[in-house]
Amino acid sequence: MKNPIFDLENWKEIGATLARNKTRTFLTAFGIFWGTAMLAMLMGGAGGLRGMLMRNFQGFATNMGAVFPGRTTISYKGFNKGMSWSLNDNDLATIRATVPYIEASSGIQNTSGTVAYGSKSRSASAQGVEVDFFKIQEPTLYSGRLLNESDFYNNRKVALLGKSVADELFGTESPLGEFVSVNGVYFQIVGVIGQDSDVSIGGGRLDEGIHMPLYTMRRAFNLGNNVGFFIMNVEQGHTPTEIRPALHRAIRHNHPIHPEDQNAMGMFDVAEQFKMVDNLFLGITLLAIFVGAGTLIAGIIGVGNIMWIIVKERTQEIGIRRAIGAKPRDIIVQILSEGMVLTAVAGTAGVVFATIVLAAVDYFTFDPVLGSAHFQLSFSNAMGIMCVFLVLGTLAGLIPAIRAMRIKPIEAMNDK
Amino acid sequence: MIISLTDVNKTYPGAVPLHVLKGINLEIDRGELVSIMGASGSGKSTLLNILGILDNYDTGDYYLDGVLIKNLSENRAAELRNRMIGFVFQSFNLISYKDAVENVALPLFYQGVPRRKRNAMAMEQLERMGLADRAHHLPGELSGGQKQRVAIARSLITNPSIILADEPTGALDSKTSKDVMQVFRELNNDGMTIVIVTHDPNVGAATNRIIRIADGIIQPTV
Repeated sequence: MKNPIFDLENWKEIGATLARNKTRTFLTAFGIFWGTAMLAMLMGGAGGLRGMLMRNFQGFATNMGAVFPGRTTISYKGFNKGMSWSLNDNDLATIRATVPYIEASSGIQNTSGTVAYGSKSRSASAQGVEVDFFKIQEPTLYSGRLLNESDFYNNRKVALLGKSVADELFGTESPLGEFVSVNGVYFQIVGVIGQDSDVSIGGGRLDEGIHMPLYTMRRAFNLGNNVGFFIMNVEQGHTPTEIRPALHRAIRHNHPIHPEDQNAMGMFDVAEQFKMVDNLFLGITLLAIFVGAGTLIAGIIGVGNIMWIIVKERTQEIGIRRAIGAKPRDIIVQILSEGMVLTAVAGTAGVVFATIVLAAVDYFTFDPVLGSAHFQLSFSNAMGIMCVFLVLGTLAGLIPAIRAMRIKPIEAMNDK
Repeated sequence: MIISLTDVNKTYPGAVPLHVLKGINLEIDRGELVSIMGASGSGKSTLLNILGILDNYDTGDYYLDGVLIKNLSENRAAELRNRMIGFVFQSFNLISYKDAVENVALPLFYQGVPRRKRNAMAMEQLERMGLADRAHHLPGELSGGQKQRVAIARSLITNPSIILADEPTGALDSKTSKDVMQVFRELNNDGMTIVIVTHDPNVGAATNRIIRIADGIIQPTV
């Protein structure tokens, strides 16, 4: 016989047998269809959920950390435990001089206040930052410019207005170059900023605040040389938690804190948070794989079951075919081809269906600011699912096919 | 000599092994029309299966058209069945979802004959059986006699060395039986070797030689 794959006769034969019992063919196909669709939707859905959570972190450095003062828990150098301390410029200088791997850093000072322009006013958080702040939390610049070195160096009374504050005070007009009052002190607006993500450092979303040079702010509001907290980006390959001992040491240099007193210094490590999210999604992915594998196995067992019935039902026919000269290979190839054709067609339909469902979900979860959550099935995943189904579906058909060959033709023919 | 069996033995294994064929010696010449008769349990079905290369035997030799049929692989057996033997069965054994032409053409499918050619050859055989107008009917739409003639057409299509018929009239009424036997006689007149297994004396009487088998042994001709 010719190569069965390139033999049109074989395909006609397969088509004829599949078309013979349409209900059974349809039900089997539906089983495979549903299996592939479920698996594909699970995979795409897990990816989409991850995307939905991850898009909240957009514009946010993943190796960012923050240091803030706490209360001591061990008495030291004559000071009782429970003493509170403040971060100040000395600490920042010591940290910058002694702690390795810090790529960018900024002290931050917060004060709440009333922002006013003309007759309109609203309360907003005013944040004094250093120039590197915007390297750590990348803002979306709607208009104007960010604060630059010169603003800091000259202690200019300039500020960046949050998008929603700007909208409230200025409506459709441009706030650029206008002066707004913050608790009675006037600042010139040089830019309007906001953020894509929902994650914020300290003083709320950038959209809701007003940002100005740290030293300008201290002068304007007589805040002394303390800072509320200190944020930093560490170099790639290192984590904020890794440099914690060095930070602790730097703080101890200026404050009477016991070397063992870890609680005296508060610390926040985004990398740790990311790790948590990553672990969460590792869990979800594993669950999806687990459930998907279950669906897959159920589908394959369905295929095997149906192939078994097909073979049983056609025992007599197989006997006839063998009596008139079909070789074992002819029969096995025929049964396997039927399974493969069925699996390929139904599997494709399943993947197509899942793609449509995922596209719909993606459409409805689309966020105008954050964008798509990527409820998508990658081409390689789709092909992977198809291949697994094709291989397993074929194997599932192989067992009954081999079983069928064990029956002698004459017995098979007498089987009624 | 188209069929030659020498001391063929066959035992079915089991808790109580069943010695079915006890040294069969049998010779059939080319162009004969022979019937093998015997009661049920006499071993005639087993003999037919061995003749049709559908079953193995334990000892002895079986030559079919000069080829030793012994310990063949299933592939070789299938090939020899396909080319050398035409089967006609009691229950017709047509494939129910294929029409008459496709059923007749099926053995050629396994020889790799292209569809157009094998369907043309199948039509020829159906015409020979007087069934040209039934070519595109499914087996379910044919009468018993017609089905058996389709089966005979199928057995002839590969131009085999012999035709083996297993109770070919067992499912037919007496008039149709006669018609079918007439078909066999005509084929035999054209030179075809035909072996019919039956327990029906009328069928036996319609053949040229009767081989009687009882208890696994060929009975001497009386």
